[in-house]
Amino acid sequence: MVDDDPDTLAILVRYIRREGFTVTQACSGTECLRLAQQHPPDVILLDLMMPEMDGFAVRRALMADPGTAEIPVIMLTARDDVEARAQGMELGVSDFIAKPIVRRELAERIHAQLDMLAADRANFATLDQLNRSKPNGSKKG
Amino acid sequence: MAVASQLSTAEPAWQSAPEHTLIGAHPTIVKLRALIERVAATDTTVLITGESGSGKEIVAREIHGLSRRSSRNFVPVNCAAIPNELMESEMFGHQRGAFTGAALPRHGLFSLADRGTIFLDEISEMPLQLQAKLLRVLEDGVVRAVGSDRAVRVDARIIAATNTDLMAAVKKGKFREDLFYRLQVVPVVVPPLRERRSDIPLLVDFFLDRNRERFGGQWSITREAMVHLWSYDWPGNVRELENLLERLVILNEGPVIDVEMLPENLKNGRCHLAEAPIAAELGESGVDLNALVRELEGRMINEALKLAGGNKQAAARLLGLKRTTFSAKLRRCGVITSGNDGESA
Repeated sequence: MVDDDPDTLAILVRYIRREGFTVTQACSGTECLRLAQQHPPDVILLDLMMPEMDGFAVRRALMADPGTAEIPVIMLTARDDVEARAQGMELGVSDFIAKPIVRRELAERIHAQLDMLAADRANFATLDQLNRSKPNGSKKG
Repeated sequence: MAVASQLSTAEPAWQSAPEHTLIGAHPTIVKLRALIERVAATDTTVLITGESGSGKEIVAREIHGLSRRSSRNFVPVNCAAIPNELMESEMFGHQRGAFTGAALPRHGLFSLADRGTIFLDEISEMPLQLQAKLLRVLEDGVVRAVGSDRAVRVDARIIAATNTDLMAAVKKGKFREDLFYRLQVVPVVVPPLRERRSDIPLLVDFFLDRNRERFGGQWSITREAMVHLWSYDWPGNVRELENLLERLVILNEGPVIDVEMLPENLKNGRCHLAEAPIAAELGESGVDLNALVRELEGRMINEALKLAGGNKQAAARLLGLKRTTFSAKLRRCGVITSGNDGESA
């Protein structure tokens, strides 16, 4: 969870913890990048408007690093206009939540990305299992 | 007759349909494609799970198309669309005089799929009695037409699909456990569109290109309209997007799709959450009044905040509440306002 405003960050972190998620917090884009490289999280919740490095710049930096490029990013912003959304869309962010944020919406959007990752893992397990069995095992049933 | 119509609509689709490919560059789709290729090289039974409209049939077609069976039929069967009493004869065929109206003998869909692939969509809707027969086909590789005691060998690869949790149906006794495990040999999951939003622009371009081929004319979409399509949650998934774009192209004169042409629910953005209606009815099982009131309160507060552009004072006024009462409710409903934009939001 990345937000430069300590109060907002604290509230958001408390809400997501209460939903049962494990959260690491960062108060700047630079810190977010460092943490994401060290311990890639399942999902990054990223505030758009931050001094020095804004959310879009962070997303670009994440994309440039193969280790973090595929981490889903949910953009949080008080600036909900077409231009901001369009930029998020063009940068391939996974979702976009406008402030004021409703806790239920926040949880639902996080769950959507976790479900996607769960589907990914299930498909990977199937692939792995097929690769372990005979190379072209054509047993029926 | 339902049987005939089912067959005639299915027929042209057996041939490879080039417009049916899995579109997307999202990492989850890239990985799914790798899985499809691997699954196609085997000859096992497959169970595809995914929301309706997410592309389960497309995945099944790709598996078939990449398999050694590709030159044979791909036979799609929607188990929910065939009346129960006709399903057995539809699947396995029937003898002349097997039942009233069976004037001529007929092959079943399994015979049509011989050496090809049969795609059993909405498998959870298959009646239990037929599930037992399907299990026998899987185990022995033979089918028996209705009214016949002769077993005929059939070599059809079975790909089943479901948009519900089949395991839950097993627990409820609505789906046979042994059949479930038999189908589940190779499970494949197709994610809903809202979980891979970044593919929406790609899909829009793809469908517009295809409509250009089908209906002629150039079609494009404004950036703003694209943003609305991207923001929407697509409960009907790729199929809903496909249908919408086709409708827009058919209904609109101009070559450019703009925001004004989009349906209302889409322009209002987040439909998925907001649209779920609040059940204001007291059923036999009763209601949780507190939960209903909380839900309504949350929605009104959210709407008021949006209308007031995030200004709490104005939002409170819209709801006829004192600022302090409003703030208390805000906290209780879990609406998080940004610290960035000061008092106003």
